[in-house]
Amino acid sequence: MTTGQLPDLTVENLTVRFGGLTAVNNVSLTAGSGSITGMLGPNGAGKTTTFNACTGVVPAWAGTLHLGDCRLNGRSTASRAAHGLGRTFQRMELFDSMTVRENVALGPEAAMSARRPWGQLFCPAKEAREIRSRTSTAIDLCGLGALANRTSGDLSTGQRRLVELARAIASPFRFLLLDEPSSGLDVQETEQFGAILRTFVAETGIGVLLVEHDMALVADVCTYIHVLDFGCKIFEGTTAETMSSDIVRAAYLGSEGVSAAAEGLAHA
Amino acid sequence: MSATASARARKAGPLADHRPAVLAALPAIAVLVIGIPWVQANHLWPFVVTGVTDGSIYALAALGLVLTFKTSGVFNFAIGAQAAASAYVFYSFRVDAGMPWPIAALLSLLLVGVVGSLVLERLALWLAEAPAVRRVVATIGLLVLLQSLLTGLYGTATIAFDDFLPTGLVEIGSVNVGVNQMIVVALAIVATIGLFLFFKSTRLGISMQAVVDDSNLLALQGTNPVKVRRYAWAIGSSFVSISGMLVAPAIGIDVNQLLVLFIAAFGAAAVASFSSLPLAFASAMVIGVSMNLLASQLTSNQNLTISAFYTQVPFLVLVAALALLPPRRLVERGARRVRRARPIRAFPRQAVYGTTATVVAVALLIPDLVGPGDLTQYTTGVGFVVIFMSLGLLLWTSGQISLCHMAFAAVGATSFAHAQHNGVPWLLAMLFAVAVTVPVGAIVAIPSFRLTGTYLAVITFGVGLLFQKLLYGTFLMFGKFDNQQVTRPDALNMSGDRGYYYLSLAVAGVCALAVVAVRRSRLGRLLRGLADSPVALDAHGANTRLTRLFVFCISAAMAAVGGVLIAGVTTSASGNPSGSFGYFNSLVMVAVLTFCGRQPLLSPIAAAFLFVVLKIYPPFDSGFFVDYQGVFFGALALAVAVVPGIARVQPSRRGALRTPEGGPVRARRDLQLRGAWV
Repeated sequence: MTTGQLPDLTVENLTVRFGGLTAVNNVSLTAGSGSITGMLGPNGAGKTTTFNACTGVVPAWAGTLHLGDCRLNGRSTASRAAHGLGRTFQRMELFDSMTVRENVALGPEAAMSARRPWGQLFCPAKEAREIRSRTSTAIDLCGLGALANRTSGDLSTGQRRLVELARAIASPFRFLLLDEPSSGLDVQETEQFGAILRTFVAETGIGVLLVEHDMALVADVCTYIHVLDFGCKIFEGTTAETMSSDIVRAAYLGSEGVSAAAEGLAHA
Repeated sequence: MSATASARARKAGPLADHRPAVLAALPAIAVLVIGIPWVQANHLWPFVVTGVTDGSIYALAALGLVLTFKTSGVFNFAIGAQAAASAYVFYSFRVDAGMPWPIAALLSLLLVGVVGSLVLERLALWLAEAPAVRRVVATIGLLVLLQSLLTGLYGTATIAFDDFLPTGLVEIGSVNVGVNQMIVVALAIVATIGLFLFFKSTRLGISMQAVVDDSNLLALQGTNPVKVRRYAWAIGSSFVSISGMLVAPAIGIDVNQLLVLFIAAFGAAAVASFSSLPLAFASAMVIGVSMNLLASQLTSNQNLTISAFYTQVPFLVLVAALALLPPRRLVERGARRVRRARPIRAFPRQAVYGTTATVVAVALLIPDLVGPGDLTQYTTGVGFVVIFMSLGLLLWTSGQISLCHMAFAAVGATSFAHAQHNGVPWLLAMLFAVAVTVPVGAIVAIPSFRLTGTYLAVITFGVGLLFQKLLYGTFLMFGKFDNQQVTRPDALNMSGDRGYYYLSLAVAGVCALAVVAVRRSRLGRLLRGLADSPVALDAHGANTRLTRLFVFCISAAMAAVGGVLIAGVTTSASGNPSGSFGYFNSLVMVAVLTFCGRQPLLSPIAAAFLFVVLKIYPPFDSGFFVDYQGVFFGALALAVAVVPGIARVQPSRRGALRTPEGGPVRARRDLQLRGAWV
């Protein structure tokens, strides 16, 4: 299903195995366009592996992946990106020798370079103008104007997260996977980040699948949430349903933890 | 699990996880089934016995290489030089000092194996968070240093070395086997089994596998990572040292010969994915036996290339293994800990223009400032500036490693010569040379689609050796006389030294402009992105394979131009290993360029001056500097590679050096003392 030209991401029965270890086991989920869908789970639940399988960084052992009508299985990472599936990384992947502006600009430029066989050698004036426009818009949206000429390797973690987001926003993606984008941000930066994300989705209608541990951010921006544990999907529902789910709390705190928390609340 | 997954699981069966081992065993069994009757029928068992003995020596070196690479992430390119050092020291104690061989061997083992391991362990520690380029440059620097030092001290002639192990014969079946051969094989078997069990069943062995990935985590478990690394390097270096001593009686001692011989250990380690000790042992045996069997069949052939083909086996195995192994088996060890290099310092525009104008002015005045004899050296230097620029484009702009750059230059020079021999004018012949070299660059680029960092360095090293040993002597390149004549252009008095210098300068200027143009183009931005984060570039839709292909092709084309210019200086191009196009120069050049920095134009100019021109001026024109220039270049490259890592190692209060990993160990002990546990 797509809203206008923008696609949903559909994952059906995804299984990812590394030798004898099943990292993701028969997971199905749909993340719609024009909304922010959350993916929760404790460390080792298989969230980043799901992202990696969606973007072709690791092969899917079984299952199908679709971006709108486009089947993603068997395509390379670059091909999936060219079809509109963008992502950020848990361990930030910036072009550290470049300035913030160059970093953000290289996102759309990399995508445009793949449009023609000789696209890597020449940059037509029309594309150069489009890259400049996209870069400026993304930098303004993320509030990075003051840092635009700073080398990204010299920035703080929070600023680097914003640069990575700006680069993804500037690129001609039609769906975004954001992997723990608020990791390393303080409370104020996280609130700013949530506001940027909401504005971006509202203005563009692009769908976002968000892996995040910060419950406040998830509750603030997500409309629907999928929860993984030990590679399996254990719950899905609206944000309110997820936040009140005993299954989800047990996955995060353990069943003993939930009991202890409940007792603590009762005593209080 | 979905129906598809279940079906695949059923289809895979219980052997699914052991499929690589099964697939590797099948051809081995087939070879044995066909090979044993063939060997029996042709009475080739003596060659098999010699092959197994050679293979045992390669196996010891391969075990040392795998062990140290597994535990440090540093691929020791210098094992051949280290083995040679051990053999030379053994020779000095045994022959020069007249010591009994067991004492001489023990002293050599202590000096080269154990003391050497302490030095190597410290280097590896300093390189723990270094990018792959710096790790490669460090051991290349060490290799260049040791080769030059040993050549300077002991000369280039092969030193004969008598057997020191018992030489009696034992008849096994119908074959006489030397006692010394049996001892060597037994040593290799015991070492392999011992190391295998050590890794599988002892705490220290398991720790050795963990130390490269996360030494801090290991420290939190109460194991000192420094101690673990030290043991690994001591065992690995000792194996290499022993293999050097064992090989000496068979072939004599010659550092340059040993450097090439120990590529067999690289090949064996590559087949074993630089990880499996038993597979490294088995591969070394196969290499040793196949070399001897091929030698028995081919050495009588009239064609020199065919008769010496058996010597190519290690290089072919090395290149084939790295080209065919699945990338998932070639994990860049310690990559998680790598700290990215600081960006290249950008100078103010006025400074750039001022420096460029000064360099151009000095370059134009050179023919009036230096004597006619020195001018040819400067012209050679200009040719090398072009090659260094092409190397810098690959190494620093795109983050790709090439240890076969002089092979590109050689292809260019010889294609140019062939074109000239067929009456093609100078400029068209140069364009022809570029056109021939670009596809060669494209072919060498193919491994870079799958391999990065250390593995790319190793395979390009193997490609360089293959060119030198397999192709240089053929009619396609330098021919059987290892030489091709070229001519300079006649127009505008360019056939004279002065005219040819200016022509070379003009060509180098065009190449410099090309480098600037590439760096400022979209391709340049993609190359910088590739160097910083290929993953991010891929995730944004760029075809990074195409990017790698372009940069290798452009770099190879420029190297070809440099090769043409160099050949024109002496109007002949030689494929001699010690000549300009020798494979070893590719290694020395990487070391020199590293020392000269990462600036796209100034660094190549400085590197070419150091590498070619400096030796005409006192005190560098002395025989001492010429003999030991590799020591200087190697030491400088080593210093540049490790200095950033030295700052990471904090001096402790007691003044002794202590790594950051020492902290968690002490913290854990403190926690234990307080009865707390994390």
